[in-house]
Amino acid sequence: MGDQLTGSQILCRALLEEGVDVLFGYPGGAIMPFYHALPEYPGLRHVLVRHEQAAAHAADGWARATGRPGVCVATSGPGATNLVTGIATAHMDSTPLVAITGQVPRAMIGRDAFQETDIIGITQPITKHSRLVDDVEELADAVHEVFAVAREGRPGPVLLDVPKDVQNQKLEDPGPRARGPVSADHREGLVGRPTATALLEAARLIARAERPLIMAGHGIILSDAYEELRGLAERTGIPVITTLLGISAFPEAHPLHLGMPGMHGEVHVNRAIQQADLIVGVGLRFDDRVTGNLAAFARGAKVVHIELDRSEIGKNVPVTVGLVGDARAILRELLEVLAPRHCDAWRAEIETFVRPRPESFKGGLSPEGILESLEGASRGRCTVVSDVGQHQMWVAKLFRYQRPNTHITSGGLGTMGFAVPAAMGVVLARPGEPVWAISGDGGFQMNMQEIATMVQERIPVKMAIFNNGYLGMVRQWQQFFHGRRYSATPIWSPDYVRLAEAYGIPGWRVEHGGQVEPALQGALDHDGPALIEFLIEQEANVFPMIPPGASLSEPIESEAVTA
Amino acid sequence: MIITRAVTVLLEDHLITFTRAVGLLRRRNLPVRSLAVGPTVTPGVSRLTIMIQSDEPTAERAVQHLQKVVGVRAAAAFPARDGVTRELALVKVRASGERYGELLDVVQLYHASVVDDSPDAVIVELTGSEAFVLSCIRALERFDVLEVARSGAVALELGLTEAGTRVPANI
Repeated sequence: MGDQLTGSQILCRALLEEGVDVLFGYPGGAIMPFYHALPEYPGLRHVLVRHEQAAAHAADGWARATGRPGVCVATSGPGATNLVTGIATAHMDSTPLVAITGQVPRAMIGRDAFQETDIIGITQPITKHSRLVDDVEELADAVHEVFAVAREGRPGPVLLDVPKDVQNQKLEDPGPRARGPVSADHREGLVGRPTATALLEAARLIARAERPLIMAGHGIILSDAYEELRGLAERTGIPVITTLLGISAFPEAHPLHLGMPGMHGEVHVNRAIQQADLIVGVGLRFDDRVTGNLAAFARGAKVVHIELDRSEIGKNVPVTVGLVGDARAILRELLEVLAPRHCDAWRAEIETFVRPRPESFKGGLSPEGILESLEGASRGRCTVVSDVGQHQMWVAKLFRYQRPNTHITSGGLGTMGFAVPAAMGVVLARPGEPVWAISGDGGFQMNMQEIATMVQERIPVKMAIFNNGYLGMVRQWQQFFHGRRYSATPIWSPDYVRLAEAYGIPGWRVEHGGQVEPALQGALDHDGPALIEFLIEQEANVFPMIPPGASLSEPIESEAVTA
Repeated sequence: MIITRAVTVLLEDHLITFTRAVGLLRRRNLPVRSLAVGPTVTPGVSRLTIMIQSDEPTAERAVQHLQKVVGVRAAAAFPARDGVTRELALVKVRASGERYGELLDVVQLYHASVVDDSPDAVIVELTGSEAFVLSCIRALERFDVLEVARSGAVALELGLTEAGTRVPANI
């Protein structure tokens, strides 16, 4: 007792009390007192990124892999604004992210001081909560509050803005504190429990439906409801559709696994949705990429929506029964009242919807082949982090995910440049298994500076670039909807093998099928980050494709209909 | 049915909480007609009244989003016609000597009152429903209206209800 602690020391200690062991960040003027204290807390590993956006994505990747809040740190002004894309990414995909920013000293706030931005104001629509710390006395509580908010209910990003003088402010050591429930009253109305009537009504609909489907989203992964989802499917025989963020919530080799729905969903999946008489949606928000034209979405289906966030129920799709609460808890309650049934006739009908995949690739280096080899080389024991665009759809659809939460991607915001930094967070969360960051040549070039971070911090991300010389998804849309005017989509790349060499890591260029497996094996065998560039067909397309604004019944299945 | 609805919110009286609540209305693209905020009998808690022109699902969604804001204690929505809605307006009017009496007649007709009688201009205070206030301002416009300050409406639902106690029927 009697010892004085600085705000920075209190901040570090509160982070340790929250179970934090790794932070991704970048120092600067207004956060320097925190960085001064950091070495006194060896339990907090700091990863120095090359751009603050990468810190936010890496913390997001870490959070997605662990289910615990990921932490990123930046200075005021440009440091803080560089976090914005990463925070928005976490917000759209409901991942618990804690962003800590330095702020100019309190007396200078509002005076347009050097490197001052109103980061609370800037991030207000993309955070679940944010707080400017007015005094060191409230700092520890503020840390615990923002962590609680990030974690509880529907997870999301929070921001803690700490003025530089508060970091330096001294306080008599209050002693370590027990972590208590923080601001529980705020959470009221956020997490509920379904009424018995609603639960029984849902069970009745499930028992009576002739053409039911389960649509599983990110909520299964967030609430660790894999067993319960599988239980529901196996008890009832209802086929399971997994949304982009629901991929790896259900084993893909399971006979009840159907696939991904929506804009790039397989024809039989979307057709099943359009023919269904009941959709049991669990932990998803019926995003427009999933539903296509809402007015024509699953017209014959009643909808049971199981969702933690009450405001999602009925937001996009009219809901017959909404069950608000934790997916795992509700699925367990449902399983208690559901009698076994099967859906054999309906499953047989869906089988008849299956269409052969059209030949979409020429040459020996197809995304299918690459991903099949990648799966084989990793023996399925790896986590795949994808970027945004064509490769993202291939990675979502062509890799068979068997283990929970092994597919990580930026779904809601669709953030190019996500994969490489996010994979760094995933590697630190899962040191025992290979982590692949798969990007296109566009997205890779958005954050490739992070190879330096991987080298300096010894983070062995295995990077794969699907290089087609185009911003492929935009080019595909230009091909189909803009008369093949490839405006600003051809994109030059550096020599990636020499780039790897410059960073001192091994790199491979793969131009034909025979080179795939040796490169994959070489990258996996190397004890450190490694890079493979796959030169794929330049104008390969992702099929099927629902044109924007069209219904799930109107897929484009091949080049034949190209304008 | 698109009608005027009141969304009432009890929230902590910090500017940041108010900003979040109001920012959300913009972000969710809600058709806001007016806003009014003021203290309640509970120390530290303010009441925000938002009048919106919308159908019921839109109003309910606004409530659900508002309930998620940290610092919001409760939120509820009801059709304006199911409650009492009041707005206050101060209208500064210049009425020359010969029309001064005429102005007082209008003020009396609307049960309004003159709260300041400076040599150059008078300030008229009106209270009532939005329609009443508008009609009264229109009546005053035959004089020289210099300035109008309207409070935005506050509203209470009739009967035994309390903000945030109801949930949609299908949940």
